[in-house]
Amino acid sequence: MTEGQPKYVLVVDDEPDVRAYLRSALEDAGFLVGTACDGQEALELIRREPPDLISLDLVMPRHSGVKLHRELQKDKQLSKIPVLIVTGHARDELGRTDFDEMTMSGPGIYLEKPVRPGSYVSAVSKLLGMDKPNAAAPEGEDDLRQSLDRALSGANRDALQRALDALRKK
Amino acid sequence: MIEPAQGDLQQLLGRELFELVPFNIAVIDRSFRVVAANRNFEEYFGDWRGRQCYQTYKNSSERCEHCQAAATFEDGRVRVSDETGVDRHGRTCHYVVHMAPLLDEQGDVQYVIEMTSDLTETKRWRREYDLFFERVPCYVLVIDQEFRIVRANEKFVQSFGEIDGRHCYEVCKRRTSPCRNCPAAQTFWDGAEHVSNQVGVHQDGSPAHYIVTSSPLGRRGSGVAHVIEMATDITEVHRLQDELRKAEDLYESIVRNSVDGIVVVDKGGRVRIMNRVAHTLLNWQAKQPPSAPRLREMLPPEFFADEAADYCLDLPDARLKAIGGEEIPARFSAFDLKSRGRSLGRAALMRDLRKLKKLELEKLEAERLAAVGQTVAGLAHSIKNLLMGLEGGMYIVDGGLRRGDAGRVAEGWQILQRNFEKTTSMVKDFLTFAKGRLPDLRPTDPNAIARAIQELYRDAAARQGVELLLETGAGLREAPLDPDGIETCLTNLVSNGIDAAVLREEPGGQVVIRTRGEADDLVFEVADNGTGMDEEIKAKIFTTFFTTKGGKGTGLGLLTTRKIVQEHGGRMEMESSVDTGSVFRIRLPRNRLDALAAAAQARNTREEK
Repeated sequence: MTEGQPKYVLVVDDEPDVRAYLRSALEDAGFLVGTACDGQEALELIRREPPDLISLDLVMPRHSGVKLHRELQKDKQLSKIPVLIVTGHARDELGRTDFDEMTMSGPGIYLEKPVRPGSYVSAVSKLLGMDKPNAAAPEGEDDLRQSLDRALSGANRDALQRALDALRKK
Repeated sequence: MIEPAQGDLQQLLGRELFELVPFNIAVIDRSFRVVAANRNFEEYFGDWRGRQCYQTYKNSSERCEHCQAAATFEDGRVRVSDETGVDRHGRTCHYVVHMAPLLDEQGDVQYVIEMTSDLTETKRWRREYDLFFERVPCYVLVIDQEFRIVRANEKFVQSFGEIDGRHCYEVCKRRTSPCRNCPAAQTFWDGAEHVSNQVGVHQDGSPAHYIVTSSPLGRRGSGVAHVIEMATDITEVHRLQDELRKAEDLYESIVRNSVDGIVVVDKGGRVRIMNRVAHTLLNWQAKQPPSAPRLREMLPPEFFADEAADYCLDLPDARLKAIGGEEIPARFSAFDLKSRGRSLGRAALMRDLRKLKKLELEKLEAERLAAVGQTVAGLAHSIKNLLMGLEGGMYIVDGGLRRGDAGRVAEGWQILQRNFEKTTSMVKDFLTFAKGRLPDLRPTDPNAIARAIQELYRDAAARQGVELLLETGAGLREAPLDPDGIETCLTNLVSNGIDAAVLREEPGGQVVIRTRGEADDLVFEVADNGTGMDEEIKAKIFTTFFTTKGGKGTGLGLLTTRKIVQEHGGRMEMESSVDTGSVFRIRLPRNRLDALAAAAQARNTREEK
């Protein structure tokens, strides 16, 4: 943070490990961080103290990301809060429709799991209109990790089915 | 006239002839009094002495209105008249009377001699004959040598129209010349009786079929004067025959062109009908249908059951034994053939199900592969989540190490550990899931599996305050199942159910395992009274890896369950509403289980070879 109050980010994810991870990454970059394990809890926290940004998982039990998003859209003030979607379901059957709905209906960018701390923090900063975060997050450039990342994001069912068929024939 | 030399003959005749002639003779004078009569007359009409003619003949007190005798007295001419009178017994009689004048020397008519002969019998015969001619239930006509119709009865006129002296061929057949095979012509030729089958035209234009007999009637010189033809109309018989033929053709073409094999046996069990499809299906190549014992080898034994009032068989999954040993899966139905309550035999319809069965297996295989495909796609996502956890753990440990923050290192380390454990359990689950083996189907009691699961998890559930109950369907038949697979399914569903029941706000959590038969389906059901699911979760629950249990689940339980169910040819159903709980149902159609078991058996046999 270059000036004034540190920005407050609410991390919403049902996985405690993911929450811990994102919280650490953001805190290391100088953000204030709150966490919620589902949409319901998040909505309560947001109403109590509107954050500067919401980091939102899409698929969660009880109150999912898209539901929360819908609730926020109903409120004039809350609908202005930028949302960063962090999901593993952007392209699969489970998340695609929700994802489409959200990216079509509001400002925001998304990151596909797994996210690197560096890219996560810079996505948050970018959405908040900050040039760069207070402290740069370490970026372990690992070729293997990146290529695995790419392979997983590019995986589609047909390709996997073909691979499976090929394996079965052996 | 008598020769003059025969004077005594003259006398004799004068005395005797009056009595000898076979007539009733009476002589009346101008006052119509009977003055003489012979014995025949007296025997016929009774005593005549001193009576008037009308009294004697007709028992009447007055002269007849059109008295013929009076006319003869007047003009001296001979008259013949048909009369009706009364005989001496008072009975009505018919007679013909021949009246001749007896002249005196001046040529005046002094007496009229009346010669009467009885017609009563003749008249009766004639009436009877007329009645017979008109009323006989066939056509009667009399024709002359020119083939003109001299007479025809009412029935003939009704059917063929007026005769008006026309030729028979005109009236009967609307021809302009005699027919070639005319039975009447033959009768005219040889005087013998002839019978033939003819087709004519009714008055209304419809065809007339009749059998005609021509007989000679009266002779003229050396030939036959007239021929009487008597014809019986067989048009109706012809029509019925025609209809019968049509009905036969109809049913024959249905049988011939049916896509089902058709076999019909008579009461004695002899094969009467076997259509082409049945020939092909049973590989019966001989032209002659099979004998009863051969047929018995080919068709299901139920077909040969004793006749019953309501015998009607429908075997949707029968097996036929074709010549050469091939077992043909077929839908087989049979019923008794009856005519007015009387049994005629039995018919069987058989539909080849080989193609259908093959398609069904292919469909099952496609479903299985689709399940695998979905899982593989979901796996990628699961790995993403694990990577995210590992990424996070490493980041936190890194930060802790850099800053010498032992607490942070410990926190990151725990995350790494947890994700490592998760990876392990997921790989294990996945290996179970991805086994790719076919279900090992063997006859299994569905209730036994359900009972085993209940016993296994009852205590664990109770420790979490949840009651695990069992409701088994009575009389549930065995089914070809993979017991391990079904156990895995029930374990997954029961553990989901317990988790849901634990989450409910009030105590009294319950999970019920149920088994039952529903139509042809075998059903397993796990119901909980837990938190239930909203529409969103319901929509996603079977789509791919999905867990509502946070870090606890791998999202593979329901997927594995569904995969096993699909490998059994079944499907999963789910009902749930928030706060009332969820029901997960495994529905296994028995016919698909049987088909899979048969396919597995065939595969095993092949492998053994």
